This record gives sequence, C-alpha cells and structure tokens, in this order.
Amino acid sequence: MTPSLTMGHQESQNLDNINPLETRDEDFVERGENDALNDNNDQDEHSERSQSQQAIDESDSSEDEVAPRNTIGDVPLEWYKDEKHIGYDFAGRKITKKERRDKLDSFLASADDSKSWHKIYDEYNDEEVELTKEEIKHIRRLLKGKAPHAEFDPYAPYVDWFKWDDAKHPLSNAPEPKRRFIPSKWESKKVVEYVRAIRKGLIKFDQPKEEPRFYSLWGDDSSSADITKHLAYIPPPKPKLPGHEESYNPSLEYIPTQEEINSYQLMYEEDRPKFIPKRFTSFRSIPAYENAVKDSFERCLDLYLCPRVRKKRINIDPESLKPKLPNKKDLRPYPFACYLEYKGHQSAVLSISVEPSGQWIASGSKDGTVRIWEVESGRCLRVWEIGEAVQHVAWNPLPARPILAVSAGADVLILNTGFGNEEEQKEIKNLLHIGTPTSDDSDDMSSYLSWLQDEQHDCIRLRHYRTVSSVVWHRKGDYLSTLMPADILLAVLIHQLSKRLTQRLPFKLHGLPVSLAFHPTRSIFFVATKKNVRVYDMLKQKLIKKLETQLREVSSIAVHPAGDNVIVGSKEGKLRWFDMDLSSKPYQNLDCHRKDITNVAFHRSYPLFASCSDDDTAYVFHGMVYADLNENPRIVPLEILRGHTSSDGRGVLDCTFHPRQPWLFTAGADSTIKLYCH
Amino acid sequence: MEIESETNEDNSKRIQVRFVTKLKAPYKVPNTAIAIPSHFHRLGLSSIVNKLLQAVNSEWKTEPFDFLIDGELVRMPLEEFLLAKGISAEKTLEIEYIRAVAPRKEAKPSPHDDWVSSVDGSSPSFILTGCYDGLGRVWKQAGWCTHILEGHSGAVSSVRIINSEGAGSATVVTASKDRTLRLWKFDAEDSSDHPAKIRAFKILRGHNASVHSVAAKTSGDMICSGSWDCTINLWRTSDSDIDGDTVPIKKRKVNNKVEEPQSEGEAVSALVGHTQCVSCVVWPQHETIYSASWDHSVRKWDVETGKDLSDIFCGKVLNCIDIGGEGSTLIAGGGSDPILRIWDPRKPGTSSPVFQFSSHGSWISACKWHNWSSVHLLSSSYDGKVMLWDLRTAFPLAIVDSHKDKVLCADWWKGDCVVSGGVDAQLRISSDISIQ
Repeated sequence: MTPSLTMGHQESQNLDNINPLETRDEDFVERGENDALNDNNDQDEHSERSQSQQAIDESDSSEDEVAPRNTIGDVPLEWYKDEKHIGYDFAGRKITKKERRDKLDSFLASADDSKSWHKIYDEYNDEEVELTKEEIKHIRRLLKGKAPHAEFDPYAPYVDWFKWDDAKHPLSNAPEPKRRFIPSKWESKKVVEYVRAIRKGLIKFDQPKEEPRFYSLWGDDSSSADITKHLAYIPPPKPKLPGHEESYNPSLEYIPTQEEINSYQLMYEEDRPKFIPKRFTSFRSIPAYENAVKDSFERCLDLYLCPRVRKKRINIDPESLKPKLPNKKDLRPYPFACYLEYKGHQSAVLSISVEPSGQWIASGSKDGTVRIWEVESGRCLRVWEIGEAVQHVAWNPLPARPILAVSAGADVLILNTGFGNEEEQKEIKNLLHIGTPTSDDSDDMSSYLSWLQDEQHDCIRLRHYRTVSSVVWHRKGDYLSTLMPADILLAVLIHQLSKRLTQRLPFKLHGLPVSLAFHPTRSIFFVATKKNVRVYDMLKQKLIKKLETQLREVSSIAVHPAGDNVIVGSKEGKLRWFDMDLSSKPYQNLDCHRKDITNVAFHRSYPLFASCSDDDTAYVFHGMVYADLNENPRIVPLEILRGHTSSDGRGVLDCTFHPRQPWLFTAGADSTIKLYCH
Repeated sequence: MEIESETNEDNSKRIQVRFVTKLKAPYKVPNTAIAIPSHFHRLGLSSIVNKLLQAVNSEWKTEPFDFLIDGELVRMPLEEFLLAKGISAEKTLEIEYIRAVAPRKEAKPSPHDDWVSSVDGSSPSFILTGCYDGLGRVWKQAGWCTHILEGHSGAVSSVRIINSEGAGSATVVTASKDRTLRLWKFDAEDSSDHPAKIRAFKILRGHNASVHSVAAKTSGDMICSGSWDCTINLWRTSDSDIDGDTVPIKKRKVNNKVEEPQSEGEAVSALVGHTQCVSCVVWPQHETIYSASWDHSVRKWDVETGKDLSDIFCGKVLNCIDIGGEGSTLIAGGGSDPILRIWDPRKPGTSSPVFQFSSHGSWISACKWHNWSSVHLLSSSYDGKVMLWDLRTAFPLAIVDSHKDKVLCADWWKGDCVVSGGVDAQLRISSDISIQ
C-alpha cells in the first residue's frame, strides 16, 4: 500500500520529496493545535489525525525499503506492448502479463463489485490496486490543490531561531549624544517668528475664495484673454521654403531670359521678383549670398514689428444658418405659370386694375388709351382714347359701381364702363353728371382744381394744375385721392365724388410724396414719401405713426387687407415689410430685385404678396399674417415670374392680384399684360 | 463576333400576332398569325394591315388604323408595350385594330365677324354658333350660313339647341354678356343662299351679371343658365306663359314692318350656392344639373328641391364640364390649367380625378364627350389645339391645330365631325372621324 502505486511513477517520487517536510511540521502542528488553519476540511479530518499519522509513519518507514517489483526502469511500457512480459523482477525473471479479461466481463465485474470505484489498474506492475480511504483523501486534497497531508500547515508562524538578547557586540558602541535629548533652539526661534507674523497679520491662512458678486452676463465666454489672463503665444509665420528655382543649378525653364530680366527693371520695386535664378556648374562656383544679412534682418523686423493676430474662425455649417422655410408645395396655391396674355396696347402698359368681381381688368398705357379686357378670354372689350399717357387706372371698389378713375397728364377722369344693370347705370349716370360747374367753393381750391364734365367720354374730368401720378379709391367708393408729386403743398388731394368736393391733406408732408394708400378697414391714410411712410388718422386728423423705411427712394406701398402690415418697394430694388404693431422699423427686408421695384401688391384673401420690377421679373411671396398677436408674420419667397421683355430699360410696370383667385396680373413695358395662374 | 450575332438576333426579334377586328367586311383581314418585328410602332402595324387588305382587295386605299391590345391602345413600340403590360411575347398575340380616330377631312372654315365664343353641334342638321359680335349663326354646312340670330347687345357667350326635331322648326337659346338669354325659333329646313335674320321670340331677363353658360333639359321645356352673379337660373322655354303673368307684348315698327311679338320671361327659380362665376352648366338627366364654377367646385343640383347634392373640389378654376362616358356618369372638366380631368362621382369619398390628360399647353376652354362612345372625348384649349382623347390611352388620339389662336369652343357634330371656333373668328369643321 504505497502511494506510489496510485499515481505515476514520477508523481510518487514528488510525494516522497514532500514527505520529510511534513514529518518535520507534524510536531509543530501538534504543539500549536489551536493555531492550525480553521479550514473546514481540516477540522473534519481532525479526528482521523492520529490514525493517519500512524499510516504515514508506516509508509515513511517502508518508503525506502519497498523496492519496485518491476525493475525495467523509466522506460515507456509501450516497448513491451508486443511482449508477453512487462518487465523483470529483482532476480531478472520476466514478469509475465496477466491474462486480460474482456471488456464486457470487466464491466460486469465492476458493476457487481461495489468497491470497484476505488480500484485502479496499475499498468507498471500489471495489477489492480484497491485504494484505501487515506489514499482517496490524499487524492482529493491534491485535486483541490492542497498539500496531500491534512496535518501540513502552509501558514505556520515564523520561528526566529536566532537569539538576539544581550548581544555582546553592537554595531556602534558610542553613547547617545546629548542633542538627541535637548529641544532645538532654531526650531523655537522659527516658531516665535511665525507666531509674530501671524499676530501681525503677515501670514494669512487659507480663506474661502470669494466669488465676484457681479459678472458680465453677456460677455464673450470664448475670448481667450479672459480665460488665460495672459497673452496667448502665437507662432510666427514660417518663412517660405526654397523652391526649385533657388537651386544652384535649376532647370532651364526657371532661368529668365535677358528680355525678362530687362522687363523687371520696368516693374515697380514691390512687384519685382526678389530672386533671379541663376545656374552654376558646381558648388565651388556659388558665390556668397549677398543679401543674407539683409534678409535675416528683415525677417527679424517682421517677427517683432508685425502684429500677430489670432484669427477667430467659427466652424458653423452655413446651411444651418438659413432659416427653416416650409415646403413650397404646402403653400399652394400661388401663381406660377402664365397662360393668358392681353395684347392690344401699342406702348408700355403703365397701370392695371381688376374689377372687384374679377371679371374685367382695366389697363392704362403710354399710348394714351384705357382698355378693358375680359379676364377669362383675353378679349379687349372697350377702348378709350384719352390722348395723353395714362399714368394710373383704378377701379372703384364697389361692385355696384363699375366706374374707373384714370389719371392722364394733369387730369383725372372718372369713366363709366357701362357694366352693371340698368338701375346701376342710372345711378352712375347721375353720379357722373355735373350740371353746372360748381365753382362756388369757398376756399381757394378752384384755381388749382376744377370739376368738369367731359362730353367726349361722358364722364367727369378733374383738372389739376400739375401732373397727377396716381389715383386711389377709398374702400367705400366715394372718396378718391390723387397724388401730384411735383407739388409739395397740394401734393395729396382727396376728392369726394358724391358731393364733388375736394380737400387737401391737412398735414405738412416732409419730403415728396410718392405713393398713397387707404387703410382697408379703418379711416387711416398712408402717404409714402421718398424716405418714410406716414400714417394719418383721418378722423382725429393727426399723425399716428412714421415708418422709417431706411431706403433711398420709395416707389410703392401696399397695405395688407388686415391693415396692420405694410410693404414698401423702393427704387433700389428693395422690399420692406413693416409690422405696424411691432415697430416702426422694417420687420423683414427682402432685397431680391436687381432694378427698381415698380409696384407691390397684396392679395385680398390669399396670404400672398408680390412685387414687380424693371428687371423683367415679378416675385411672389407667401406672407401669412396670424391673428395671434404673439406670432410674427411668416414670409416665404415662392416664385419668380418671368416672361416680360424689357423695353426702354423698363420691365414690369405694374402688378395686381385677381381679387378672388390666386392669380397675378403683370403689366409690362413690352405692351402686354400677362396673367399668371396657380 | 458575338456582339454582331446578338444584334442580328435583336433585329430579327419577332412576335407572332393575329389581327382581329370588329369592323365590317372591307376592313377584314385573313385570320392568320403572322410574325412581325417587335420594334414596330402603330404606324408599322397600320402599314401591315393595309398591306394585308391590299392583298385581298387590290383597289384598297391606305387607311390609318389604331391597335388595341387587351383593351389598351398601342402608343409605343410593341416590345415596350408588352414589357410594360407584362404580356408574354411567346404566345400568339391578338391585336384588335380599329379605324384610327382622327379627322381625315378639313372643311373650308366658316368665317365670322368676331371671335366665335360657343358652338353647339347637337343637331345633325345644323350647327349653331355664338359670336362676340352679339349674333348667333346657324350653319347648314361649312361656309353656308342659313340664319342669323340678331338681338343681343353684348357678346354671345353660350348657345344651346333646345330641340330640333319638331317638324322643321328648331328652338335654340343664346346667352349673352348683356345679362339676358334669348330664345329663338326658326325653320331648320328653310335654306336660302342669303342668311335670314331672325329675332328672338322670348327674352329672359333676371341675371345681374353677364350670363356665361346655358343648358337645356332633354325634354326641352326648361333651360338653366349660369352667370357671373354666382347663380344658376331656371327658365321655361314655352312660348306662352302658363302661369298667367304675361309680360306686355311689345310691338315694334322697324323699317315699316311689323316685327314678330317678343315676350319676356322671368326665372322660375334660382340655384344659389356657388361663390363665384358659374362657368358651365350641364343638364344631362331629367332631375339633375351639374355646374362648374370659378370657385373650384363642380356641384350636382337637384332641380326639384334646388338642393346641392354633391360637390367635387378641383383646386383650379373650372371653365367647362361635361357628363358622359360609361353610363353617362363620368364628369370631364377643364379649367385654368392644361390638365383635362375626369372624375367618377360614383367613387365615394374622393374628389381626385380618375383620369388626367395633360397634353395641352394652356387653359382648357371646352370639353365634350362623344355622343355614343363611352371612351372618346374632345377638348379644346387656349393653345389653339383641339384634341381627341380615348380613355384607354394617356396620349391624344388626334390633334386638330388648324386654329391660329385660342380655341374658345368645340363640339362633336353628327358623331363623326368636330366643330370648333376660336379667336381667329373661324368655325372649323374636321370631319370623317370614325368612331365605332
């Protein structure tokens, strides 16, 4: 029963090497039992200790004596595979192999034998060995990675075998010096020094850092000077590296010809090249560089005289700066395609106006005619020969009163178009008939203005004394306002058709008036002068607001149908949107036209507005005004309408929306009127 | 080498086809399968059929044909068509051919004094036109005007034949921009070289703005009219007022001749609902009127109750509608864009068109369904073209572009002619259109 039987030959030897150590430890373990490790397993095995000790003693004693029965040495057993023996005993006799049972038998035998699980076949001696309980325990402990013997204590206290007491020969025999026992004088001096300094307040202890009470809220956080509190080092720019032409033997193409060198003399000194390449056949022939000192001196000057500034570069995607615009498809309908043209005028069409129901359109042209067109077919229905270039036409806003105000030269004519049923016609005839010229106006108006009956066209002729540039109807269709830009005092006149009265604007205008507009719902009047727009309350007779356009020359004005927003077009091609609730400064600037804006227009019901210009285009915008006062108007450019051709440097002269459809009429200097449909 | 052989193969790719037709004897070809190159267009197929017909009948005159595969007209190379429709080219293909729907003759234009604003060809014996000079004209045939309807003070905007069957006498109505409608009676058989001038027997007043369109009930005793005052008025056409509220008869003495008496009529009722100009009215059935308006809607009215039955919103201004097609239920409409739309009101819950034809270049001024064919219709446009359409293909069958300017009106006449009038003041008749 040796452990060497249970495992391979070598392992058994290893175990043998451990054993002496164990024997030595044993008495120590026995001596300090309580110090032994509190391992559970060890505790369990404690009872069996005495037994096992004996066994070990036995094995120890037998270890050296019991020689192996098989003496073939450390030789693989494979060599004896085909032999009948597996080795030799001490006497040199062959140890024959036992007869092997076949597997079935051995299996049955093992199944029957309850002890078969601790039986092991020893190949070396060719026999079956039954393991004892002790041996199984050893194996188990080995498998756990512990020392095979339960008594072995790997953590035994260290025993200092050397005795240190009363050593006769210490390293130094000198007595302890006195200074070791006296407190230091220097230290006490230093302490006194510190104490004094503290009392005087020279030394301050760490106080909680005070936060500055005020700080710059809008300060630039990113400024490096604030953060670092010192000048940031800016590396000097690197000098240019020499190129091929500065080689001692550059290629031929770098060498300037004599002509080129001569031409350098004609150049300004700044433009002249600093270095003229030359060829040298060898290094030896290269002369000293004559400008070496000068160059390095200049470099030094550059380095300390030229201020270096760190360029701040913001890394922002330019696309992200663009405002998010809604999709154009969602803003439909809006005019985009021209399907109809109204042709017939001989010269530039200066002004157009659509009848309130949208069936007819009137146009005035430079050729001195006023024409009425059928919108749906482009048919010219009626022509009036006025004789002078027609500056402006305006259809009366009342559907029941189809009359037309036309300004031509110094006259304003109020034409009866002949539409409407009999009753309406009768009324209009009465309205437009002046029995006797009412010259009994008390004020001095009569010298400037007269109401006349025009026999040729059967209409009223308002004779002004200067050229009238525009006519605007009040929404109720009784008042109309005319504009004489050449005059300052009587520039704006307001006429009442039913009473045939004329009054002038009771305000002093600063600057030449350019355009007029009535408020669509209230008694408010807009006068655009060249720089500003003035808003007057006609009932209270006072100035309400002055809109600063910041433009060089205003050309036209239009009022949103809700009345709180105004667009102003200027002669430099700029469009300004004013939100009158917001401020007197423009809410939005739209600079899109390249030439003068000739007119601007709002749609009556759709959220659209348009501007037309001398650059032959008209722009259509989406201009949504919300009822909610907190929400600003939304302005989106929609479409550029092209199609007109320029003539005499003028492009599109007038634009107006259809009152009920999202259609835009444009009048061009090319004597056509175009209708852009949705 | 390989490429060459491939191209050779490509060129010689052939399809077995058999031509069938519903046409009568002279158009029949032998019912045998033949192989034709697959890249043939309609023209190639047409020439093959003509060749086949010539083989049978040596005096055959070439005639254009149109081809249907599975009920769809061939408008691209055969190969592509089969690919697009997923039809196998392995089997013998049956191609039905019909005579091409295209005008073969163009009659001499009939001149007017002004723009021709409307035309009605519903009577086979004459054509009625309205003109911007305020006159209505009756044409026996191209260039032969038999009657002139005189009386309107404004441009005639719409004309309609109420009945033409009654023993030689025809009743027509004209609507004008002078806010009136006039009813006229004349003898259609009466034909002389000089046009006879006729006065209206009844003047219908009641609209507040120019009348834009007029339609007559099929029975002929009532008409309706749409106007710029946003209403549709219904009128009786009968000569004598049954209701008893007779309007004083005016007797006029002009040129020492006693003119026929002219009575005046008032609207029976008005259908109110549109918010803008009523641009077109159609009265296809006894009790329903369809109307199109500039307020972008097509409405269906019940005549008895005057109620609005259903709406279709189009998004564009509508200039013309017509009811027809399969079971005369489809609504064709055109307006302020170049798209001819066809709605099916039987499809519930949608107002999106079932067909959209967009070959025109400008506003569509008129559209008409063919009288008996359920798939053919015509449209005229401000781009100066009249197009014939077949619901079975997205391309126009034929384009009549003889007009020099905008075409304002167009209609079918006698089932095989297209009459159209426009800004060039001509009435043009394109005839000999074969529609089965």
